[in-house]
Order: sequence, then C-alpha cells, then structure tokens
Amino acid sequence: MQNLLSLIIFLPISAVVLMGLFQVSLKVLRVISLATSVLVFLLVSYLGLNFDPLQSMQFVEVLPWIESYGINYFVGVDAISYILLFLVSLFIPMLFVFIWDEDRKGFFYNLLLLQTGVMGTLLSLDLILFYLFWEMMLLPIFIMIGAYGYGLRQANAMKIIMMTVLGSMTMLFSILYLGYLFFEDNGFWSFSLFGLSSMSFSSDISIILAAGFLLAFSIKIPLVGFHTWMAPAYSSAPTPALVILSAIMAKLGIYGLWRFGFTLFEGPLSYYAPLTITLSIVGILFYAIHAIMEKDLKRMFAFSSASHLSLITLGLFSINIYSWSGSLYLVATHAISSAGIFLLIGMIGKRIKSIKISDLGGIATVAPKFAFFFAFFALSIAGIPGTGGFVAELLIIMGAFKYSFWVGVFAATTMISAILFIFWMLQRTIYGKVSQKVADGFYELSRVELLLLLPLMLLLVLTGIFPSFFISFFEPTLGMMLFQIGDIS
Amino acid sequence: MIEDILLALPLAIVVLGAIVLMLISHFPTVSLKKYNLIAVFFLVCAFILKLTQLDDSNHIYLFEPLFNKMFVIDTFSNLFDLLFLAGAIVTLLINTHYFQERDYYNGEFFSLLLFSVFGMMMLSHANELVTAFISLEIASISVYILVGYNKNSLKSSEAMLTYIVLGALSSTFFILGTALIYGVVGSTFIGDIYSFIQNNPTKEITMLIVALMFIMVTILFKIGAVPFHSWVIDVYQGAPYPITMFMAATFKIAVFAIFLRLYLIDFTHFYDIFSKILQVVAVVTLIGGSWLAISQNNLKRMLAGSSIVHAGYLLIALSSIGLGAEFAAPAIVFYLMSYFLSAVGAFGILSFIAAQRRRRATFDDFKGFSQERPYLAAMMTIFMLSLAGFPSTIGFLAKFYIFLSAIESGQIFLAGLGITVAFISIYYYFKLIALMYFYPTDEEPKKFPFGISSSVIFLMALLTIWGGVGTGWIPFLPGVDTLVETAKEAINSISVKPY
Repeated sequence: MQNLLSLIIFLPISAVVLMGLFQVSLKVLRVISLATSVLVFLLVSYLGLNFDPLQSMQFVEVLPWIESYGINYFVGVDAISYILLFLVSLFIPMLFVFIWDEDRKGFFYNLLLLQTGVMGTLLSLDLILFYLFWEMMLLPIFIMIGAYGYGLRQANAMKIIMMTVLGSMTMLFSILYLGYLFFEDNGFWSFSLFGLSSMSFSSDISIILAAGFLLAFSIKIPLVGFHTWMAPAYSSAPTPALVILSAIMAKLGIYGLWRFGFTLFEGPLSYYAPLTITLSIVGILFYAIHAIMEKDLKRMFAFSSASHLSLITLGLFSINIYSWSGSLYLVATHAISSAGIFLLIGMIGKRIKSIKISDLGGIATVAPKFAFFFAFFALSIAGIPGTGGFVAELLIIMGAFKYSFWVGVFAATTMISAILFIFWMLQRTIYGKVSQKVADGFYELSRVELLLLLPLMLLLVLTGIFPSFFISFFEPTLGMMLFQIGDIS
Repeated sequence: MIEDILLALPLAIVVLGAIVLMLISHFPTVSLKKYNLIAVFFLVCAFILKLTQLDDSNHIYLFEPLFNKMFVIDTFSNLFDLLFLAGAIVTLLINTHYFQERDYYNGEFFSLLLFSVFGMMMLSHANELVTAFISLEIASISVYILVGYNKNSLKSSEAMLTYIVLGALSSTFFILGTALIYGVVGSTFIGDIYSFIQNNPTKEITMLIVALMFIMVTILFKIGAVPFHSWVIDVYQGAPYPITMFMAATFKIAVFAIFLRLYLIDFTHFYDIFSKILQVVAVVTLIGGSWLAISQNNLKRMLAGSSIVHAGYLLIALSSIGLGAEFAAPAIVFYLMSYFLSAVGAFGILSFIAAQRRRRATFDDFKGFSQERPYLAAMMTIFMLSLAGFPSTIGFLAKFYIFLSAIESGQIFLAGLGITVAFISIYYYFKLIALMYFYPTDEEPKKFPFGISSSVIFLMALLTIWGGVGTGWIPFLPGVDTLVETAKEAINSISVKPY
C-alpha cells in the first residue's frame, strides 16, 4: 500500500464531492458517510499494524506540486501523528453514529470535509501543504457552528473564524519569510519541514518568525489572553462540532506547536518559554476558576478543557523527556475523555433540551447507567488514578519540577482545581434532588449510546493501567527529537 | 507577410465581428439570442486561433515595413489576448438570460463589446505610446457607452457621466506625458526611453520623470488605485451587471497589460523613484480599499471596493519589480489570471440571479441562499474564498506569490500590510458566506438551472479550485505549475530589450 496516507486523507473529500454531485438522499448519505469513515478507520488501523515505532517518518510520499517554488505534496506519519490520527479516525465514525437521526444533510458533508482537513494537517510535512489543510478545517467548523448552532451562532462563528485566521495569517507571514531565507541561503526554493529546519539564522529574525507560529497555535489551543473566541464558540456549537473543537482542534494546536514550532524554532521557543509557561500557569488557574463559576455544562467543560491544554503547553515548554511524554500522553487521553464528556453533554441536550446545571439534578436516581458514565468521564478529565490522565499529569508535573521548582508547584495545583469543579458539578447534576426537567424527560442510555461510550471508556482504563505500553510507543520519537534539539536529559 | 497576416488574424476577426454585428443590427428581425451567438462565434474563432499561436510567436513586429515597430506580438501579448477573449466570451455566455430579460439590449451592444475587446487586444500589442493611447481609448469609449447602456436608469446614466468626465480627464494626462516624452527623446516607441538614457547617461532627465508620472496617473486611474478611486464604486454599481463584470475582470487586466510592458522596459532607469511612489500608492490603496469594502451594504459595491484592494496587492508586486524581485512580474500575471477567474465567477453569479425574477442586491438579500440554491451558494463560496485568498483556491497561490515577491525585494512592511489587509478581507467575504448559510429562507429550494450560463459559472468554479490545488502529474491536465511557467515565459518574452 504505497499511497495509503493519500487514501486516508482524500477518501472523505472524494465521498463529499461524489455525494454532492449526485445529490443523494439522506438515507444514502448517512450510510455512505458512516461507511467512508469506518473505512478510513480500518485503513488507519492497517497502517498501525505496519507501523514501526522505532523509526521516525514512515509511509512518506513526495509528489511535486508547484515545482518552481519547491512546494511538494509531502506526507508522512510518525508515532505522534499516528496517535492523533488514530483518535480522529475513531471519533468521526462515532460522531456519525451519534448524529444518525439528524435530518440536516450539512452535518454529514461538513464532518467528512473536516476529516480530510484534520488528517491532512496531521500528516503533511510541507509547510504550504500544512497551511492549506490547517485553513481547510476551519470552514466546516465555521459552517457547523453558524448554521446548526445555538444562541448567537452567527456572531460566534464569525468570531472563531476571525480569531483563528488572524493566527493563520501571522503564521503564513512566517512561513513565507522562512521560505525566502531558505532561498537566499541555498539558491532554490523549498518549503519542506526538514529542509527549513536545517537552516540556521540570526536569532533576532527567528524570534519574530517564531512569534508568528506561536500566535497561530496559542489562539488554537487557546492560551489565556487568546481565549475570547472559545467560550462563545463552545456554547454555540452543536455536539459534533463541540467534540471536534475540544477533542481534535485544540489538540492540533499542540501538535502544530510540537511538530512545526519545535522542529523549526527550538532556540527562539526556549526564549519564549518563560512567557508561555507564565501564561500557562495563569491559564490553568484562570480557566479553572472560570469553570467553577460557569452555569452551563458546555461552557464549564470548555474552560476545563482550556485549563488542561494550558497544562499540556506548560509541559511542552519545559522541554524534557518527562514533560514531553506527559504532554503528549495527556493530549491523547484528554482527547478521549473530552470526546466522551461532550458526547454525554450532547445526550443530555437531546433528552431535556437544556444543559444548564441548574436544570439538572438527581440523574443517578433516574438513569444510573448514564450517571455512571458521566461520572467516569468527568473524573477521568480531573485525572483520577486508574485513568490515563493521572499518569500523564504526573509526568508533566515531574517534568515541570525538573524545569523549575516553582513551576512544578504551580503545575501541581491544577489537579486540585480540576477536582474542585468536577466534584461540585457532579454533586449538583448527578446527585441531589431530582429536578423537574430530569424527572420529565430523562431516560437511560440506549444501546447505541452505550456502544459509543464503551470503547472510549476502555481506552481510558487501558491507558491508565498500562501506561508504559503506550508511552513506549512514542517515546523513541520524542527522544530523537529532544536529541536533535540538543537537550537530552 | 503571410505570416504577419496570420498573426493579425485574431484581431481582424474581432473587429470584423464588431462591424458585422453593427451592420446587421439594422435589421429589426434578428433576435438578441442570435446577436449573442454571432458575437460569441467570432470571439471563439479568434480565441482558438490565438491558442494555436500562443507558443510559436516570440517577439515579432507586425507588418514591420508598414507600421514600423508599433505592434509587437509576443507570448505576453498572446496570453493577455487570450484572457480578454475568454473574458468577453464568458461575459456573453453567462449573461445570456440577463440580456433577454431586459428590453434595452440590441445589436449595437454586442458590437461595442467586441470593439472594446479589440481595443484591449491592440493595447496588449502596442509598442508605441500613441498607439497605446488610441487602443486604450477604443476600449474605454466603448466601455463608457456600455456603462450607460440602460437609458431608463438614472443611476446608470449618472455612472456613465461620472466615468466619462473623469476618464477623459485622466486620459489627457497620458497624451501630455507622451508629448513630453517625444519632446525629450524624440520618439514615442516603448523602449526608446531606455535606450535614450543608455546612450546619454549625462542628460538631465527630470522632464522624463514628470512625463512618466503623467502616464502613471492615467494608469492608476484606470485600475482604480487610491487616490484616483472615487469613480470606482459608483460606476460599478451604476453599470449593468454584465458590464460591471466585464470592467472588473477584463478591462482592468488590459490596463495592467500596457502598464507591465511600460514598467518593465521604459521605467527601468527610474525604478528607485517610482518604487517609492508605488509603495505609497499601494499602502493607501490597500487601506482605503478595505475601508470602502467593509462599509458597503450592497454586494456590487462591496465587490467594487474589494477590486480596489486587489489593485493594491498588484501595486505591491509592481513596486517589488523595481526593487529587484525576480518573481514579481510573473506573480502579477498569475494574480491577474486568478482575479479574472474569481471575479468573473462572483459577478457572474450576481448577474445570473439578477436575470431571474427576484432581485438580490444587498447582503441581506442573500440570507438563506444556500437552502434555495445549494449549488450556486457553494460556487459563490468558492469564489469568495478565492477572493479572500483562502488556501486550496487559486486566490491563495496568487497572494502567496505576491507576498513572496514583496519579501524577496525586502519590503517586509508591505508584505505584512498585505497580509493584514487579507485578514481584514476575510470579514467582508465571509459575511456573505455566513449570510448564505446561517439563515433560514422562505423560498422553496430550486433545482439547479442547467444551461449555458450556469455551466460556465460551474467551469469557473472548477478552474478556481484546480488553480489552487492542481498538480502536474495528471496527464493532459495543466497544473498550477504550468500556469506559473506560462506567466514567466510571458514576462521573459517582453523583457527582450528592443534595441
């Protein structure tokens, strides 16, 4: 299978084009969408079977695209991108099952389009190609929030696109300038990641260029100060978009920072490390406090998500093998937990048409199974022992202590703050008196819903019990990268 | 001689078509559809003929014993001819319904359109300033009339009057510049200034700078650069849709054709002065254009404002030429092609809808358009994305080349400003996408209107996407790379110094 990666990237979009041209009926649309995404999942699993974690880039494909500027269609997969690839290809079919009863066709088209964008972002190793996919995945999110969302959806969709495009534009500027510097040095153009990373350039310029990338990823993550789009977008987003936003898009910010930021700008990023780490620490507390105050579940978990992503960023900028393993492990486990929790929130929304905490209460009495899963996923976000999040957070905190004692101390507080809002929320929603709305309309998990949540739960437990198995999968890649950066510890 | 005749044949076909149309317009029995068909027929003939000549003509002077070196045929002019012809063909095809729905169109309309195409083609071949002026006026005067073609509309007439008064005023500057050049150099051939300074390096050249500045005023006026932009929005709005489309997508390119030729040859010794001027003009054009585009509520006016912004991007590249960017000139040609595709598409959809019963002019009229006409809405989205420079469309690559050339010439500030303006433009283009997709509509969903107009728009959308992602490794299909290479070839074919 030589073109396996291209197949994975372009299968969804070709399905969209074909189905769009023939204007298929809703029934066919559903089946084909699900079939396509399942097929992609199988392909990704097949990829995993032939994957060798000890090597770096595999399944590389290089095809000329714009030769006069040295821009290639250049894709490849390594351990880090594979983990995210696997998770994305797992989530998308689940979302299709989740929205099976949906009668708005746009959902299906947009999700498939989004899958192409995300897969492309994860696999591309040419900066222009990366930029193309990076922007491409914005559009489906924009339309899903704006067309199918809630509340002030139009304004909030506009907000998310303007903020993220602002970041993309600064990144584009940096990419262009990098490409030109390469041309000046070598006499020919190239935008490939490895070509550009071999360059050495003066620190003043690189600090400015790194800022362009950093801004793009900080907005996507979002670090505190760049987060104004987040809560409105989350509260307006329909469930599939919500899962994608928190479980995939935010993680792509981290992935981009790791893949492109640290490969290209290891020096300048350590110049920014004190700043980003401060922002992350402020973010961890700020978002946690925000999460405690929020009155609806979506906004609350949006902030909780941002709080954990700040922790991940902190780990990434501590630059040592513990914090990096922890960060990337947390990326994976947090993606699973947040996919689970936002699916559950979507189910609550389906049942009682409200996600306000005040409207909920006593779910455990009415629907014990639901309550169990809800509590499990909520607690896995807080990082209770036995789930992967615990191991990951521990590793990050170890790495943070290695970076600096006080950073470690502050990083450790996040475990407490997360437990604060999670437990309080559980107390108000699951336990306590049965609220009117819950008594009227709440029902137990259906078999399909159960089927959706079980694999996620299983993955979380497995990552918690056998962390060394999973970590050893991507540790060689991280080690190699750290070795290149020259900070092996 | 025979070869010259063959090379001049496309020009002759267009002018012949114009005359034929003018003559038969005296017969009242000929229907509009037939006029349209005849016009398209002549244009297509010329187009096909030009296509066969694209490669094999490298810098030939047409009828040299007769016209001296007034007309030049090279890859550059051939490429631009193709663009003009394509622009006219597409304009006529997309607006088939529009013409039939209105009562004020007749045979002369098509004749005038062909004359204006003829003028533009001459303009791209002109190698002499007086010839250039005459060609420019042939094209302009036809467009003046076309702008005011709807005699019953007050707005249309007002637009025509604005355009004709300001346009005539600006044209005088061209004449004045030409006269001054003749006074100093003793010739009006393009390239003579270059050799004049080459041969007399000690000469006082202030007068020449003034003369070139006068010429530049005319050109900046025609492309609608700030501070000569005051006519753009009103004229674009007042003109009938087909003509707005023709002006935005085709006429503007024609002006750039002569500007590029002049700038690459005659301005060579004055680059350090004119780059500074162009930089300032580019900055104010980008900012002023964005300001105008943001504040519009009418879609046609917004597109007019955005066309000013696009001129601003092109000015960035022009100033980079002077500062030694190797890829700037091909970037301009590529940008023109990209703008041509997306603008024709966007205006095409507007006029296609305007041909139907319900008029849509403002942003609000487009609420819920995606439910009513999903395919047209999807295509409109593609054109908006391309105009905004969103990746995976041709507009992105065009902007990419422009910004790269700005960085290459060391104009980091201009590149940064260009990217900022591109960011601002996301707002007004995405506003339309948001309106089309985010609001419900009362109208019934309509079937895709198969027909010549919609198929041409569809083709434009396809090309816009293919121009952004097209690869060269699919046989028989030219990829993006081919386009860039063609642009480079075209530029190389003019920079052959004539003496």
